[in-house]
Amino acid sequence: MTQNLLSVQDLEISFRTAAGEVQVVRDLSFELAQGEVLGIVGESGCGKSITALSLLGLVPNPPGRVSKGRILLEGEDIVTASERRLRQIRGNDISMVFQEPMTSLNPVYSVGEQIAETARAHFNSSRSEAWERAIEMLQLVGIPSPERRAHEFPHQLSGGMRQRVMIAIALVCEPKVLIADEPTTALDVTVQAQIFDLFRDLQHKIGAAIILITHDIGVVAQMTDRVIVMYAGRKIEEGPVSAFITDPRHPYTRGLVNCIPRLSLDPSDDPEPLFEIPGVVPSPSDLSLPRCAFAPRCHNAFALCLEKSPPLLPVAEGRAAACWLETEKPG
Amino acid sequence: MSDRATEMPTPPALPTPTTVPEAVSPTRQTWQMFYQNRAAMLGLCILLVIIITSIVGPLLYTVPPREMVWMPLTPPGQSEYLLGTDYLGRDLLAGLINGGRVTITIGFAAAVLTVLIGVTIGALAGFFGGWVDTTLMKVTEFFQVLPNLLFAMVVVMLFSPTLTNIAIAIGIVSWTATARLTRAEFLRIREMDYVKAERSIGAGNSRLIWKVILPNAAPPLIIVAALSIGSAILFEAGLSFLGLSDPNAMSWGRMVGDNRPYILDSVWGVTIPGLAIFLTVLAISLVGDGLNDAINPKLRQR
Repeated sequence: MTQNLLSVQDLEISFRTAAGEVQVVRDLSFELAQGEVLGIVGESGCGKSITALSLLGLVPNPPGRVSKGRILLEGEDIVTASERRLRQIRGNDISMVFQEPMTSLNPVYSVGEQIAETARAHFNSSRSEAWERAIEMLQLVGIPSPERRAHEFPHQLSGGMRQRVMIAIALVCEPKVLIADEPTTALDVTVQAQIFDLFRDLQHKIGAAIILITHDIGVVAQMTDRVIVMYAGRKIEEGPVSAFITDPRHPYTRGLVNCIPRLSLDPSDDPEPLFEIPGVVPSPSDLSLPRCAFAPRCHNAFALCLEKSPPLLPVAEGRAAACWLETEKPG
Repeated sequence: MSDRATEMPTPPALPTPTTVPEAVSPTRQTWQMFYQNRAAMLGLCILLVIIITSIVGPLLYTVPPREMVWMPLTPPGQSEYLLGTDYLGRDLLAGLINGGRVTITIGFAAAVLTVLIGVTIGALAGFFGGWVDTTLMKVTEFFQVLPNLLFAMVVVMLFSPTLTNIAIAIGIVSWTATARLTRAEFLRIREMDYVKAERSIGAGNSRLIWKVILPNAAPPLIIVAALSIGSAILFEAGLSFLGLSDPNAMSWGRMVGDNRPYILDSVWGVTIPGLAIFLTVLAISLVGDGLNDAINPKLRQR
């Protein structure tokens, strides 16, 4: 195994609520290698976004906190790092692109100023150097006539353009890890494709490792090398993307993959109803029971599932799944 | 990943529109709106005339404002002193010109102090929340429940009634509204996505407060600041009227106060400085309202 850039070990994130402390992420461990694209998949509320925030030391505290585990960035623990050190890590080593390009840019500064300001804060460069750098970055993320666009304000740009600007801000300090939290959810389909092309292109040029958080299986299949599936705060399946698509092991993953609608114009093709996973994601406070969190929604659930939560079991080379069914048919 | 990446073409360039509207900064848009507002422009003109007069006037019109120069209680237009004289035979025009300097200086100084204290306390309370917020808001409430005029009088009486002390006293009693407004704006804006985004690329607290949130909270604060100049002038007039003015400086409020006992013998002695106060505050209010109209449509746009 190559040197791991980022290593998350037994991460547990808790939130204090009126009903006591609730764990929104438990026993989460994963590794991220240099230049790798890792997908984190799951429904809304499964803990993917808060995991992303914890990598930047940005879990809102109070009420939340990282209650257990370590997040090692090249051997340095982010969980115990000082706020001062965290500020250096943010942007320089790890940076993030958010879901909402429409509201994630400061409306009172021109986009060029915003990129330049970030560059200045991290490189101590002069005003004019930073401005040059900002224009370079706008060029890199594919914004036409960057010299002029740099003077424009966020409300003058389209959603796709704004997301490109966000990516430029995130990449201006050449981070080692780029976290993209559903970066295209708010964009049109055609623009989504452009943004993903951009990600791929930049990943090739800059070589940053990318953590792509999404609920779009199509995006995962296109973009990532390896996938982690999260359900109710736990990692329930992990493996290379090809295996994830062709041979999902956990019933939940199978459900996710089956949920993708297929385009077909063939009249003989029976328009079968879209597959759906019954039920809803359990709220974190329902998870005190020892059973498998997915059991109430699972078609294959049996007695053991309601008694004990399954551990993450290796099912093949580089693959693991947390399901009791996998113990009965090893390999 | 890498082999797939090599197959991929570079991202298609977005088509460039042939005409792109000129980048207009929010500040310039606001100014354009303001410029089209007649009432606001009128207010601005009046204000400029008053300010220029009080700066240049004393150099051109050199009659001493606090010396007897003619018969007391001369009506306007009946002597070489255009606006007549007061009960001590002092020239009213000279008083008006010199008093304007004092009144406007105190008005601006007190407004600056109001904004400085109010914005700092409001910003810290709104940004940090928790116990910082609770403590600072308790302090604000304490100042809010004190009767403004009485408290200012006590401050001026305790420390001699110099211009500086009067400005400080007015500033100290009038910052609470600014603090509350600033806090409310900070509470709203600190939850914005762009604040989170700034934090995620390594912005520290001081940068977030002063360079990210404050500029976005500025529009309503600018209006409040402008209007607080007007109320500071009125406040100063009130204090002077009650006799709490700098004995070594003429001010409009003091002229009104001094001439009050002789109102039946010389109406102009009270009316003229009173009109000056009225015009100035009116002009400031017009400018403030104009700013409000110019800035608010953009707030709605966001």
